Amino acid sequence: MAYSDKVLDHYNNPRNVGSLDKKDPNVGTGLVGAPECGDVMKLQIKVNPETGIIEDAKFKTFGCGSAIASSSLATELIKGKTVDEAMQLRNTVIVNELSLPPVKIHCSVLAEDAIKAAIEDYKKKAGVPAGAAQTA
Amino acid sequence: MAHLHDCWHCGAKDAASLFCRYCNTIQAPTPDYFEFFDMPRRLAVNAEDLKGRFYTLSRLLHPDRYTRRSEQERRFSLEASSILNDAYRVLKDPIQRAEYVLRQEGFTVGDQRNKDVPPELLEEVFELNMALDELRGGDLEVLPQLEVMRRDFLEMLAAIDRELEAMFARHDAAPPESRKQVLGEIRSALNRRRYISNLVQEVDKQLTARNA
Repeated sequence: MAYSDKVLDHYNNPRNVGSLDKKDPNVGTGLVGAPECGDVMKLQIKVNPETGIIEDAKFKTFGCGSAIASSSLATELIKGKTVDEAMQLRNTVIVNELSLPPVKIHCSVLAEDAIKAAIEDYKKKAGVPAGAAQTA
Repeated sequence: MAHLHDCWHCGAKDAASLFCRYCNTIQAPTPDYFEFFDMPRRLAVNAEDLKGRFYTLSRLLHPDRYTRRSEQERRFSLEASSILNDAYRVLKDPIQRAEYVLRQEGFTVGDQRNKDVPPELLEEVFELNMALDELRGGDLEVLPQLEVMRRDFLEMLAAIDRELEAMFARHDAAPPESRKQVLGEIRSALNRRRYISNLVQEVDKQLTARNA
């Protein structure tokens, strides 16, 4: 199956690969996986606690081209957005943007799950007293 | 509970599964593996008993015995021998056996959208992938770490196998109407197992590539 040009672009030049300090209270980490294809995706956000804006986002994905492209695009899409806006992001946006075929839609779902998991982790950290924060 | 039909050869009513019980002529073989071996549909299988049945049937069904028989009998013996080998391969392996029963009961096996990987495992999977990446990049310092992870994953597999064994026993003891639920649990365990075993294979591949 051929990948779309956009998938190839993100695959060959992934944006925002890397990691943020998991222990930073302003960083939320989402780690999700798709058992069957073995994909595992880590997506992190760094939030400005004053404004609630996602100032930085990083990812590292092990998996197929579509999974890498989906998470790469996801970091681009949420950067500069508020946490609440990012929470509204649906996988269909990624599907359309990357022209993912039906068999690869689960990659975009994984990316959406990763964003949500990262935001939840951030909120959990922000909501609980410092030191008690945990990542799943 | 073998499925019985009328013998094609002597016409005896409900007389035949693999062989007619009146004229002993070979019959159109059943495609159901449990029926083929005349075994109850259970997930726990005695390996020795199965092996005994396999050898007996191998002898009885072997195409060499039918070279001078009718074309119909030769065809049945070929078909039966082929089913026999498939059936034995599947039923002797606990994992394949469970997957076979799951499919028969209408479960999909190996669905991409299942979410059976526990979150605490993901962390390890991620670390493992990182280490594999570094190894591919030529960093040999991760080798001891990989060995440790490989052992961890093998232990997880062994633990799942013990769980499965207990579930098989529960399935076999359960009344038919509550078997589906146990099968659902078995499917989850199998999905976790496949996920981990793929990882181990990937590690092995990388490690042998290094040692070669």
